[in-house]
Amino acid sequence: MDSEEKKNLPRRKFFINGIKAVVGFFGLSLSIPLAGFFISPVLKKNAPGWIEIADVPALTAGEPVGITYKYARKDGWEMSEIRKTAFVLKQADGNIAAFSNRCTHLGCGVTWDPAARRFKCPCHGGVFDAQGKVLEGPPPKPLAQLAVKVEANKIFINEA
Amino acid sequence: MNRIYQFIDERLHLGPLISEIANHPVPDHANLLKTPKAIIYCFGGMVFFILLLQVLTGVFLMFYYVPSPDHAYASVTYIRQETAFGGLLQSVHRVGASAAVVMVMLHMLRVVLTGSYKNPRELNWVVGVFLLLLVAGFSFTGYLLPWDQKAYWATTVGVNMIAGIPLIGGFLADALRGGSEVGALTLTRFFVIHVMVLPALLTIFLAAHFFMIRRQGISRPL
Repeated sequence: MDSEEKKNLPRRKFFINGIKAVVGFFGLSLSIPLAGFFISPVLKKNAPGWIEIADVPALTAGEPVGITYKYARKDGWEMSEIRKTAFVLKQADGNIAAFSNRCTHLGCGVTWDPAARRFKCPCHGGVFDAQGKVLEGPPPKPLAQLAVKVEANKIFINEA
Repeated sequence: MNRIYQFIDERLHLGPLISEIANHPVPDHANLLKTPKAIIYCFGGMVFFILLLQVLTGVFLMFYYVPSPDHAYASVTYIRQETAFGGLLQSVHRVGASAAVVMVMLHMLRVVLTGSYKNPRELNWVVGVFLLLLVAGFSFTGYLLPWDQKAYWATTVGVNMIAGIPLIGGFLADALRGGSEVGALTLTRFFVIHVMVLPALLTIFLAAHFFMIRRQGISRPL
């Protein structure tokens, strides 16, 4: 190793470290926005939240009422309107319950038969009572209960 | 980190390859540390840096962009307003496009003024002109993609210029548009040209450009 080469070594090391620092700086300042951009929809909450569907005074105790409601669903840049039906029931004690109308067997829409006081599924003969419990047929579970809240005599259900 | 490198180097002998690429003296007249006016030799490198940035931001924008008249504008709005850093990335991509054109012009001006295009570097000038056309192609096709009023009418006017070519102009314009009007087919065509065809050509021509500059060295000023 001659003296010229010796003198150049720290200089070379300085430049290698300098290059590493510059590349690191650009890499880091790029990777943060890029990673954030890529991951941001995952961290976003899109749930429509509480939806007003009925008034309490309109209900008769023990008599489920089917209510069709609509809400806007956001899927990325795409907005679509979702239509669903829920059965709202005023219990004897005045509490409000709400059931999804989807049969727990294969998802057909159940209807309330006021004469028989039963929910009936048209597809495979599933039968539920007014509280959503299975009475007959293939459904494995009672009708799904929806989260309900009552504010100023208005009934809201939660679409998560 | 070092051990991983050693493992690879032991088997592939990267050392000589890396010094072949990185270990070469920069002539004094092009060395920014020795002559401040050597900045004029940096424009080409700046173009390359901007192009890398364009590729990076472009790839990420594609995660959300949809080249369909139904969704293009909505997806760009979504990028700008609803994603984290989306406005930043889209702006970098848009401003970067303009910056690339400016830097290409400065780079070419330097090459002309120092006479660097002359023998033996004529071929590299020719490759450079193709690169200029590619950058212009990127600008033209990329301009349509946001699918707003400006995009639509700029493309309408641009393609009408092509229609002005005698004899074959009308056919060329229709082929580019995928029909007689700017529409859904134009958008998908321009999208594919912008993100697949032009980048592939750019890679090839840039490789040739860099190979020649390394083979022939940087020209001396007159």
